[in-house]
Parts: sequence; structure tokens; C-alpha cells
Amino acid sequence: MAANFWTSTQRAHWQLTRDKIADMRRGLDEEDTTKGLGLVYPLPDHKQLQLYFHNCLQRLARRLQLRQQPLATAETYLKRFYLKVSIRDTNPYLMLSTCVYLACKMEECPQHIRSVVNEARTLFQEFIPTDIAKLAECEFHLISELNSYLIVHHPYRTLMEVQVPLKLSPDEVMAAWSFLNDSYITDLILLYPPHTIAFTAIFLAVFVRPAIHTQANLNASGSTALNMGTAAGAGGSIVQPSVGQSVAVSAASNNPPNPSSARLSQISEWFAESGVEMEAIIECTQEMISLYDAWETWTDKVCRESVARLIRGRQLS
Amino acid sequence: MEDQIAKDSRACTSSAITSAMPLPPYTSKVKVLDKYHIIGFISSGTYGRVYKARSRHPGTTGEFAIKKFKPDKEGEVINYTGISQSACREMALNSELAHENVIHLHEIILEDKCIYMVFEYAEHDLLQIVHHHSHPERRLIPESTIRSILWQLLNGVSYLHQNWVMHRDLKPANIMVTAAGEVKIGDLGLARVFWKPLAALFNGDKVVVTIWYRAPELLLGSRHYTAAIDLWAVGCIFAELLALRPIFKGEEAKMDSKKTVPFQRNQMQKIIEILGTPTKERWPSITQLPEYPQMGPFKPYLSSLETWYQQVGATNKLGYELLSGLLEFDPVKRLTAQQALEHRYFTEGPKISLNAFEGSFVEYPHRRVSSDDNDIRTSSLPGTKRSGLPDDSLQPRTKRVKAGE
Repeated sequence: MAANFWTSTQRAHWQLTRDKIADMRRGLDEEDTTKGLGLVYPLPDHKQLQLYFHNCLQRLARRLQLRQQPLATAETYLKRFYLKVSIRDTNPYLMLSTCVYLACKMEECPQHIRSVVNEARTLFQEFIPTDIAKLAECEFHLISELNSYLIVHHPYRTLMEVQVPLKLSPDEVMAAWSFLNDSYITDLILLYPPHTIAFTAIFLAVFVRPAIHTQANLNASGSTALNMGTAAGAGGSIVQPSVGQSVAVSAASNNPPNPSSARLSQISEWFAESGVEMEAIIECTQEMISLYDAWETWTDKVCRESVARLIRGRQLS
Repeated sequence: MEDQIAKDSRACTSSAITSAMPLPPYTSKVKVLDKYHIIGFISSGTYGRVYKARSRHPGTTGEFAIKKFKPDKEGEVINYTGISQSACREMALNSELAHENVIHLHEIILEDKCIYMVFEYAEHDLLQIVHHHSHPERRLIPESTIRSILWQLLNGVSYLHQNWVMHRDLKPANIMVTAAGEVKIGDLGLARVFWKPLAALFNGDKVVVTIWYRAPELLLGSRHYTAAIDLWAVGCIFAELLALRPIFKGEEAKMDSKKTVPFQRNQMQKIIEILGTPTKERWPSITQLPEYPQMGPFKPYLSSLETWYQQVGATNKLGYELLSGLLEFDPVKRLTAQQALEHRYFTEGPKISLNAFEGSFVEYPHRRVSSDDNDIRTSSLPGTKRSGLPDDSLQPRTKRVKAGE
């Protein structure tokens, strides 16, 4: 149902296990190998690509001045799509632009197809066809592979709902919000219910954040001059920088005080009462930590080059 | 940097030229004509056309209504132009929703630049039922039928609202009734999920709900309207089932050249003539609505709803109570779907049947299906969208029946 995660198509069709996801990706890779595509168009592993696509989506979202929710929906569409269709059978830049275009319609902030194409072209140049019909055709492909299940439940809503009962400080809310943004680089939205991801982000914001200050220099690329805004605004503020950047900001000022043990037990109690599985939160946390590990050494060069080679080879040759 | 990439990939493409496989265009894995036998054409609208169909699959019985969305613009060559937001909403919401009083979506086929939404088939709709009772002569709809239809309609609306979906375009033509007398709310093309920021509700679509069923807060330019707008529409539909004509049949003021949304003075006039002039006492927040200053020139009227109710031939006092609860000016005081379902109009008297036709001897005509126009694939002629002529000329009666839209 539209507002009920428990009866949603997301829960019925798009909550997968790690094994299932690995199987699906392996299946696509094997097909590519059989077709001889794997050898001709080698691609970095999917974690690298996810970082890259996230980066591209975020840049496009900023150009279109989108809020976080449509961006999160676009990220979810792209992830779902690439579990069913091989990246090598697509133009990834066109695909991710299409995800943004469709997500904007679904999140009630429609963008003209022409402006999506224009903004995408300023970012991805000749890899985006000027003919809007190409993006529109891609939309058919996308909706068809998503089985028209277009409503996505996101963790942001849970965060907004529990910030008062959990007495989260504006700082903590903002940090949790940024962790949620980063969670879309991982597979979490394919694996866990949105509230589990929200609780993980809160857990990270309140207890783990001081520990990752050392990674403040992560992801120095991209614009850091963005207005941080208040994450608590209705519907979320315009697309924000990731945790790497936001942590850098708070580290530059004052380190937040370590949470008291009273606070810790209060929040753990609240988690326990609301029936959240601590085990799931720990798994999600591990996923996030491994993301920040991978991010540390990541550069977009390899991804950019291999994607360019793929598009040129398959479409523009 | 860009230069370097370009060089690299050129080198690559020339060496890999033999294994370069250009991407094929999008083709649907499922073909609508492989799966369905088209019986004939039902109706057309701005979105496209609806056909009646039967499944070719031996295990799938029953009939279907296939709604075909045309591409937005049509020229000599039909091109992909991006799917309309209303088609997106309808696809997405119907996929999530499942309720006995909301039309069931069987599947969606995306083929050849068109979207085919395959719905369960419903033999009747409220527009046609009202029409049948008013032509050639006026015969009231049996009260058991009205109570059943209204209860089922409210049950569906309640379900939508519980799931934070506002329909926003409830009108007789969008309320289907199956041959078994089950009410099915259709056409979620304007529906919206409303857990999202309320401020955004006004953005995008400037006009919501066909004017005769449009709630007063919308007429007064409310930006923060609520699900209560659907209950106003239900009130208007209830009145129409009783009176066999729209209760507030205003003339729509068209958008001017500046594309500003005009104040619907005539529609407001029709409402006030029956319900009386809204006062600050009756509707405290009215003064904060953008178009409130427009209310100045209206002559003060007293409510004559009770007289209206008697004049149309209705006698059930509880029905009058329910109607006035639905047609309440103040959206805060208006009955919710849940409250309306618990109203004594339903709980007292004979038990509500889930078959609207139970105990009724009225024979309703079947939906008109034109079998000489059953080519679902090619009948989307260029330029049919605005005039609607090719469709209506084949279907002279369709136009009359659909006049209430």
C-alpha cells in the first residue's frame, strides 16, 4: 500500500537477501561473459560502480535542485534496475538520468524531460543523446523492469518521526540524515525495511560518529560549499553533501561531546521497546563502515573511463 | 582530462570493433495482442482509450478493461515523449493498492510507445446508472441501492485515506459498479500520497477535481487542503444519486490568457444557493483562504438543503443528516470516511448489502462496446487527442452519456 510498508510492493518484491543479490549480479556477469561482452568491456566491481553512480546521481540532482527524497527514489530505481539488466546492456548515464526523471514525477516534483536531458548533458556531455525520445524510451525500459512498482518507502520519514521521542539534537538529526544519504550507495535499501536503516543512521549519529572523524578528509571532491540547511525541514532540504563532508564541517568546529552512558541506555531501551532487531542494526552498521573503508581509496577515474569505453563501444561506434 | 578519456576509448573501440554490439531499441517482452482478445472499444478521454478484452490464456477467465495511454504528443511518427505524470501515478498507486472497492489492476504492458493498463472489467458506472434512472423519464434509484453504493464508496475512500492516498477526482464517471453490484473506485490518475509535505500539494497541478464536485476550500484557493475534499465529492455524488442530476452544476470559468486560475464564482454561487452563505462562525478558517475576499459580493443565503432534499423525493431523515455532514463547509468539521461509515443512515434500518442491486428489479443496460472498432494497436490516430472526433463520431451515444464529465 501506498503508505504502509508492510503491505507494499517494496516489501513483497524488493526486499532481498544478500545471497539473492549476489546471485542476481553473478547471473548477469555470467551472461555477459558468454556473450563476450565481459572481456571487451571490463567494469570495476559493483561497489566501485555504486559509488560512481551515486556521485553522478548526486551531481545531477544538485543541478536540478532536487530534494533528498526524489534523489533517494532515483537511487533505488537504479539499484533495482541493475539487478535485472546488465550494466553492459545500457548507457549508464542515460539510465541514471532516466531514474531521476521518473523519480521526480513519482515524488511530485516533476521536471521537464528537456531540462533533465540538458542538465545531464552538461554533466555527461555527448554520452547523453540530445533527442529526448531516447530518454523517454529508456523510461519504458526502466518501468518495465521495475514491474511498475514505483513507490519507494524511505528511511527519512522514520527519522523525522522519531527525532522528538528520541530527543535527538539538531546536530544528531543532521548527521543521521547524512548517514541515510550515504546508505544509498550501499545495498541497504534492497535488504532492510526503511525503519531499520533509519535506526542504524541514528545509532551511527549518536554513538559512532566521533569515531569516524578520522575519515573527515574522505571524498574531498565535489562541492562542499553547499548550504547545509536544516535536515528537519519538511520533506528534507535540497540534496546535501555526504557524511564525509558534513563530518569534516563538524570536525573543523568542535567535536560533539561523547554521548553519556545514560543517553546510550535510554536509546537502546527505546530501540528494544520498538522491536527493532539489534542484529539487523549491527549488520547495517557493518555495511556502512565497509562503505567508508571502500570510499577511502576510491577515485572515479577507473569507473569513468570504463563506462565511457562501454558507451562508445556499444552505441557510438 | 576529457581529452585523455576520449583518446583511450577511441583506441579501444577501434580494436574492439568486431565485437561491438549496438544496443537494440526497447521491446516489450509481453505483447498485448498475444495475451488479450479485444472485444471492442468502450470510451476515450484525454489520456487515451479504453477497450473491453478477454484473456487468451485458457486459465484466465473474466473480462478486462484495457486502458491505453497514448504518447503525449502525436505527429506523423509517434515518438517517445515521456510518460504523463497521471499515468505514472495510476500505475504506481494501483500496483500498491488492493481493496474490494478499488478497481483491481491486473497487469501493465509497455509496448510500442504505449502503456496498456489491464483492469478488471466493470459493467456499469454511476454516471450510466444515474442516466438510466433519468431517461427517458425520471424514476428514483431504490434506497437499498443508494445505501449500498454509498457505503461501498465510503469503504473504498476510507481505505484510500487510511493509506494516505487522496483520490482528488471522485465523480460519477469514475465510480464503477460490477455486474455483481460491487462498487469499484477507478481512475487514480489524479490521486496523491499525502504523507509528504502538505505545502507541496498545491504545486504542480493547479486544478484538482472536476468543478461540480470540487470542495469549497479548493474553490477558495486553499493550498493546504486535506483528504476532506474527497468527502465533499462523496456528498455531491450522494446528492446526485438522490436527485438524478448534479446538485451543484456550476459553469466553469476558463483560465485566462495569463494562465492564472480563475475564481469559480458560478460554482460557488450554486453551492451557496443550497447550503447558505458560509459564515466565520460556521467555518472559522475561511477568512485565511486566499480567495476569501471574493466572497464579499455574494448575497447572504440561508441553507435550503432540507427543502432541496424533500424536493428531490428523498424521505430518509438519516440520509439528510449524513448528506449535510458530508456537505459541511468547514473541512475540519466535515465527516471523515470512517465517521460516515458509522453513521446511523447505514447502521439503522435494513442491513447494507454488498451487492448494490440486491432486491432491485431495475435492469441496467450493459456498457456499450463498439465491436467494429477493436483495433487496439492502430486506432490511435494522429491528432485525435484534442477533438476526440474520430471516437465520438463512431459513438454518438457515448458523448451524451459522458456529458456529465
